[in-house]
Amino acid sequence: MTRRLPVNFILGAVLVALVVGTAALSLVWTPHDATQMAISNKFAAPSATHWLGTDQLGRDVLSQLMAGARNSMAVALVAVLLGGSVGVALGLLASALGGWVEDGVMRLADLGFAFPALLFAIMLAAVFGPSLTNAVLAIAFINIPVFARVTRGAANQVWTLDYVLAARAAGMNRFAISRDHILPNIAAAIIVQATIEFAVAILAEAALSYLGLGAQPPASSWGRLLSEAQTLMYIAPQLAIYPGLCIVVAVVGFGLLGDGLRDMSDPRLSRER
Amino acid sequence: MFQLADFSVSFGTATALRRATLDIRQGDRLGIVGESGSGKTMLALALMGMAPDAAKIGGRLTIDGQDMTHASERTWQQMRARRVAMIFQEPMSALNPLRRIGDTMMEPLIVHEGLSRAQAQARVLALFEEVGIPDPAARLRMFPHELSGGQRQRVLIALALACNPALLIADEPTTALDANVALRITDLLVRLARERGMALVFITHDLAAVARTTKDIVVMYGGDMIERGPTAQVLAAPAHPYTQGLLAARPDPTVPPRDATGKRRRLPTLPGTVPPLAALPQGCRFSGRCSVELPQCAGTRPTDHAVDPDRSAACHLLGAAP
Amino acid sequence: MWYFIFRRTAGFVATLFVVSAVVFSVMNILPGDPALTILGLDATDDALAALREQLGLNQPVLARYVSWVWNALQGDFGISHSFRVPVSELIAERLPMTVSLAVAGMIFTLVIALSLGIGAAARHRKVGDWGVMFISQIGIAVPAFWLSMLLVLLFAVKLRWLPPGGFAGWSDPVAAMRSLVLPTIALGVVQSAVLARVTRSSALEVMRQDFVRTARASGLSRRRVLWRHVLPNALVPIVTIVGMQFAALVTGTIVIENVFYLPGLGRLIFQSISNRDLPTVQALVMLFAAIVVTANFVVDLLYVVIDPRLKART
Repeated sequence: MTRRLPVNFILGAVLVALVVGTAALSLVWTPHDATQMAISNKFAAPSATHWLGTDQLGRDVLSQLMAGARNSMAVALVAVLLGGSVGVALGLLASALGGWVEDGVMRLADLGFAFPALLFAIMLAAVFGPSLTNAVLAIAFINIPVFARVTRGAANQVWTLDYVLAARAAGMNRFAISRDHILPNIAAAIIVQATIEFAVAILAEAALSYLGLGAQPPASSWGRLLSEAQTLMYIAPQLAIYPGLCIVVAVVGFGLLGDGLRDMSDPRLSRER
Repeated sequence: MFQLADFSVSFGTATALRRATLDIRQGDRLGIVGESGSGKTMLALALMGMAPDAAKIGGRLTIDGQDMTHASERTWQQMRARRVAMIFQEPMSALNPLRRIGDTMMEPLIVHEGLSRAQAQARVLALFEEVGIPDPAARLRMFPHELSGGQRQRVLIALALACNPALLIADEPTTALDANVALRITDLLVRLARERGMALVFITHDLAAVARTTKDIVVMYGGDMIERGPTAQVLAAPAHPYTQGLLAARPDPTVPPRDATGKRRRLPTLPGTVPPLAALPQGCRFSGRCSVELPQCAGTRPTDHAVDPDRSAACHLLGAAP
Repeated sequence: MWYFIFRRTAGFVATLFVVSAVVFSVMNILPGDPALTILGLDATDDALAALREQLGLNQPVLARYVSWVWNALQGDFGISHSFRVPVSELIAERLPMTVSLAVAGMIFTLVIALSLGIGAAARHRKVGDWGVMFISQIGIAVPAFWLSMLLVLLFAVKLRWLPPGGFAGWSDPVAAMRSLVLPTIALGVVQSAVLARVTRSSALEVMRQDFVRTARASGLSRRRVLWRHVLPNALVPIVTIVGMQFAALVTGTIVIENVFYLPGLGRLIFQSISNRDLPTVQALVMLFAAIVVTANFVVDLLYVVIDPRLKART
């Protein structure tokens, strides 16, 4: 049976491909060295050599944006993988053991929602000083309760299915069942959530870097580019436009892709969205 | 008062109601009978001007001589509650759960008739008295979930009667209720129609309820009105094979459920199920399921044939007979 | 109902305690010497020792935690190192700024999101609906701080209608309101986009229910049915989100205050980070977390008010 791909999936996939492609490309090639300064050529207008012009230190804006894409993707990937795997493990554990373990894990997850990434990053920055690692940790941390909840909800449904009951009757232990039967069955739900959390992570990284709690100079980050551009708003407003657009494109892309994946994996969920 | 002429409701290629003709006069008590998917609810919604937005409407609907076929929402708002009102199948969910009964009841009175709250409240108490709700004053402050199903249906009837409509449409008003509660509700509807000189359209698949409540009957199948006439006569000697099948499928209380050998009797049933709207045959809607089928049935739509002076049925058999 | 309220209140208090323990642990137990963090590597041993004494670092951790909570309950959050005044004074001074901004953002969010969401539901599958869905999709993706910059570029730099930042207090209400316009919009847009979507889908859900048909059948106008019957019933999921959004708005003020140089708690938290003023950061993080927890608690209680059926059930 072939169904037409949802529009949001196609649009999301195109935007994501664009962003991820750019990030990948920046690993091997950027028009210029993103950190190469040339004070004499500051605030250059777009030209054949500098497609989007240069910034206050004569650095190539396009190259910086490309490096920023790489940075954003890396942070989001590590944070979601880290927080996601801990969250999924906790969710599986809660679902497999039930009882007070499940209650406890879910209470902890509720608690996790009391700390937005920003607050957590602030605490880490206050104790250890601001760094990209702390930003990644903070974003990973807020992902734990999100994934724990999704995993446990989806896993609890699978536990009631006949063949899982059969596996239990056959004497398989709960952890082996979780690994061999539950996890593959809830993978779709987890991937959908991961895609959406990827978008959230990009936004969080941008905000933290903007506030100086994330990427530190000279690393390029869309958020940091914006905080630099803010002081130059009267002189070079264009510098404040591009990085923001990049963020929006990336976030919309991953958001749409997540929605689209959900529509495809479970059409019932998306009926009226 | 209410006239439908060649009235159709369709969605794309699917026809929910095909060229229906109906004339409802003051004091009529009309039963509309059919299985789900027969178009009876669509007919009721059309009479309320509440067919879904996507529906395409053809033919003509007039109320008190005014053409309402393509009337605006605003025009319909003036008709609803005052000329035609409706009660629905599910008394459990048909009342706003967050509002006190009194507020729900008074709203149309205040909106339509410009009554003050005090006036509206007096009217509501009188209405509750009329439909037999005990301790009306206390009910006003209650929420829907605090009432029983039968009480809620009475509230809905009172709500429908609030602005003295000329026609009350009851769409399966008793399906969701216990048998004895259902009986009391149908009797209440008949009494109210008589006392108020109000027309009643009673939509149901329950033939016993129709026999008890209505003077005339229209049998519907697949969006067509296939048989009509005085209720007693139609039920006593149905002319259309579908009506005959419908009657035969009714459990007969005089036949014990087990036969002489103690084996459970099978209930007679109509073979097959109602096809989806889009898959209905072009000719007689019942062809394919009918026990006596003529060659022209599937392709040609049968016209109404008079059975008696005031009875007719749309079936090729009747046309072929003489 | 009273049992429900009692249970939620107990849960709320317990959560606050656990949150305080988490904040305290992160700020105190994690490796690193707070005195060294505060004074820097070139501090003398005597100064370090004195500071440790002042911070009570020589006492056991548990005793420090208990006294921190005990004092905090009495409104004493310790002394700020950088400002040399009690932290509670700093908070009291800046709280009105943050509260004004958060409340303005909440009002903005509610007004915009409810009208857009209900409007979209009423025009389901029509142009207006698609328009709202499209705009909200973008709105969700726009970082608040970037939106702030765009607003400043347009309304302060180009058009010069509104001030680009700063806040001089409420002594001049007109100037104060003008300073709050752009921050409020920047703060509220993202949340409005989220809430508009929730409102729309919740309203669509309710519009399918039977009582909406009853209301229409009694001759009420679509508009009246929508606002008087559909909206109240759609509120339960909306209120859940609004609770979370209030929390998001409060933490969002941290970002917005820094973009617009508004003298609130958000600015204070960043000044304290650069000044390595740990007691202040600790108090502020605790305060923000407490606001988030409280918002969710209030939402739980609101359910009972909104839905009379809950009163009977619980």
